Amino acid sequence: MENMPASWKLLLMLLLVLTASCGRVHAETLAPSPKPLASVPALSADMRKVAVLKSQNSTQNVQLLNPVNLSLECSLTADHNNLPNISAFWSQDGREIPDSRLTVALENQQYHLQRLFYISGEEMLGSYSCVFENGVRADFILATPPFGEVRDKPVVSYVRDFVVLPCKMEEAKPKPLSWRWFRGNKTHKEQISEQPERFQIHSEERKSKLKVINLTHEDAGVYYCGAVYAIGTTMNPIELKVITYQEPLKPFIGILIEVVLLVAVIFLCEKRRSKKNTSKGNEENVDQNNIKLQEEEKGAEEGSSMRQRKV
Amino acid sequence: MPPAAATNLAHKPPDGGWGWAVVVAAFISIGFSYAFPKSLTIYFKEIQEYFSVSYSEIAWLSSVMLASMYAGGPVSSILVNRYGSRPVVMLGGLMVSAAMVLSSFGTTIIHLYLCVGVIGGFGLAFNLQPALTIIGTYFQAKRPLANGLAMTGSPVFLSILAPLNQFLFDSYGWRGSFLILGSVVFNCCVAGALMRPVSNQKPKGCLPPSNEAVDQGAVADAGPQTADSDPEEGQHEGKGQTQNSKLVDLTLFKHRGFLIYLVGNVVMFFGFFAPVVFLAPYAKHQGIDEYSAAFLLTIFALVDMFIRPFTGFLGNTRRIRPKIQYFFSFAVSYNGICHLLFPLASGYQGLVVYAVFFGVGFGMVSALLFEVLMDLVGAPRFSSAVGLVTIIECGPVLLGPPISGALVDTFGEYKYLYSTCGVLMLTPGIFFFVMHYFNYKKLEDEQKQKAAGEMRRPEETVELKSNNEANK
Repeated sequence: MENMPASWKLLLMLLLVLTASCGRVHAETLAPSPKPLASVPALSADMRKVAVLKSQNSTQNVQLLNPVNLSLECSLTADHNNLPNISAFWSQDGREIPDSRLTVALENQQYHLQRLFYISGEEMLGSYSCVFENGVRADFILATPPFGEVRDKPVVSYVRDFVVLPCKMEEAKPKPLSWRWFRGNKTHKEQISEQPERFQIHSEERKSKLKVINLTHEDAGVYYCGAVYAIGTTMNPIELKVITYQEPLKPFIGILIEVVLLVAVIFLCEKRRSKKNTSKGNEENVDQNNIKLQEEEKGAEEGSSMRQRKV
Repeated sequence: MPPAAATNLAHKPPDGGWGWAVVVAAFISIGFSYAFPKSLTIYFKEIQEYFSVSYSEIAWLSSVMLASMYAGGPVSSILVNRYGSRPVVMLGGLMVSAAMVLSSFGTTIIHLYLCVGVIGGFGLAFNLQPALTIIGTYFQAKRPLANGLAMTGSPVFLSILAPLNQFLFDSYGWRGSFLILGSVVFNCCVAGALMRPVSNQKPKGCLPPSNEAVDQGAVADAGPQTADSDPEEGQHEGKGQTQNSKLVDLTLFKHRGFLIYLVGNVVMFFGFFAPVVFLAPYAKHQGIDEYSAAFLLTIFALVDMFIRPFTGFLGNTRRIRPKIQYFFSFAVSYNGICHLLFPLASGYQGLVVYAVFFGVGFGMVSALLFEVLMDLVGAPRFSSAVGLVTIIECGPVLLGPPISGALVDTFGEYKYLYSTCGVLMLTPGIFFFVMHYFNYKKLEDEQKQKAAGEMRRPEETVELKSNNEANK
């Protein structure tokens, strides 16, 4: 550099200044023009859900697996009033989120409302709504993947027997990370741990089975199979009913008795008839034997007809 | 003109009276035999979970039961030939009942295979054959109607057993349900009790007195043969009926009509049941929801239920009865055409139309299936015939649905399955038409020869008599 003549240095410096200024111009054109909204820019959202509203409310189910930055957006199409501004707010599980009330300006015949939520855990799941001044709202229901078939009838098993409670997450839905089983009611659930003599849990990727061994009446109740995802657990209730062998025994014996009675009646009827007939038949036999003798005396025709019958 | 193998029975079939009670009994037996294995499929899912087995292993239960039912045919025939229908049916009822009760305590799937599958299957075989046989002994003139009515047992019982099984399952789980089903199926013994051997029958007692005069006349006609109304004598008559067959009548394989029936039926059975099995899956494949698909089967069963007695009635009419083999050929061909045209059906309406038409075809063939066999071989040999037929049909019946399933899996499309079934039904149908045309012709020739032969003998005796008198 020290050996360069002064003119070269000047040229180099000019070049440097030029490139620097070009870079700055590029940087300026690349930078996004900030939107005229008060919320965080949508760039940092991992997931975006949009509801387009006109005059009716809308509901959307959002399936979540992991913690996520979720951007929820509502676009209300302006009606004939064409107000320049309307107010709107966000609510979570029916309660208004504090400091979420905004005034939305009319843009391209639409009122556009957007908010970024960070859903970190199961307690953040639920129903989120954007509510506009004129009453129109959009609901977003955030939940883990639901179970397809929910069994409404209880599983029935017997005392001292075992039962296998199955649970399945369909192919179409995402695979859970793991499976857990619970017992209890809606408010308080207790996790079931594997005890070799009482409970056995066998889980595959999409299926899980709880085997309850050596059943007693206390084992009856609702069991919950939980498909565990990073963000939360989906519960599937299965009711178990435990009965003793005496329960089906009653209809069994009832029907057995009915069969025995019917068979007895039929046979008795038949015996009585044949007794009547043997006594009557003896009288008839005497008559018929007389007729027989008379007929045999008639000859050839009788013989040929007897031959036909014997064939 | 009825074929030569008519009633070679030692008595005149009553064609009424207690016969209708026997039809009710046969209705019950046939109903249980066909509907019971099908209705057990409701329990399969839970049993599969309980024993931790795969779906194909549990499906084997149905196959074992069906195979036992068909394999038990010849055994059943032998027993019926020796002891008559009643003891065999009661034994069968006892067997199925015991099988279900034992299986309700089962600890492995093999236990179920043996109890429900083998013993249960045999028990049902002991119900089916005798029920069909006894109709042949009680009816001649009204036999197609009686057969049609008795075969109606199958769809009726299926319609009753399916919801009953669902209810039992929801209330008692599979073990309790099997126990209760054991007692339900024990009602086969009631059916057996009703199957009074026909020569025992005298018209009084439990029947209203108005029948007396009519049946007295019938009794007097058969007077010389059944002079003693002693029940023991009646049983001897029962044994004597099938005097030409000790065990199983293998001479049937030389019988022209029997061979025609056998060959046609073996081909037909490959494609007979598969369309029923795949109707609901095909509907779901077309995008129809589960309830509407199930409703298709209900429509099919309802149509089947009403068509069977109606077909029996038609078969009895004066025009059709002599040529009832043609009626059967028509029924089989109609099924074939139905299946061939099925791929043209589109949408749910098309499926409903198909279900109705198929129901008609299925009902017609079922109602006539055993009637035509009786018509061909005659009532005394029917027991052996049906035993032989069922054991030979065992193959197609068992192989049909899995082969069809394989067809569906290979092509991914159901229409090839239905086209194949259509061909498998249409070919025997045409075969029957052609062969029976020749068979009827031959039978007519034989009848003429026989009649000519008999004409000569009275003439000879008249000549002899006149010679004797001349000589005197």
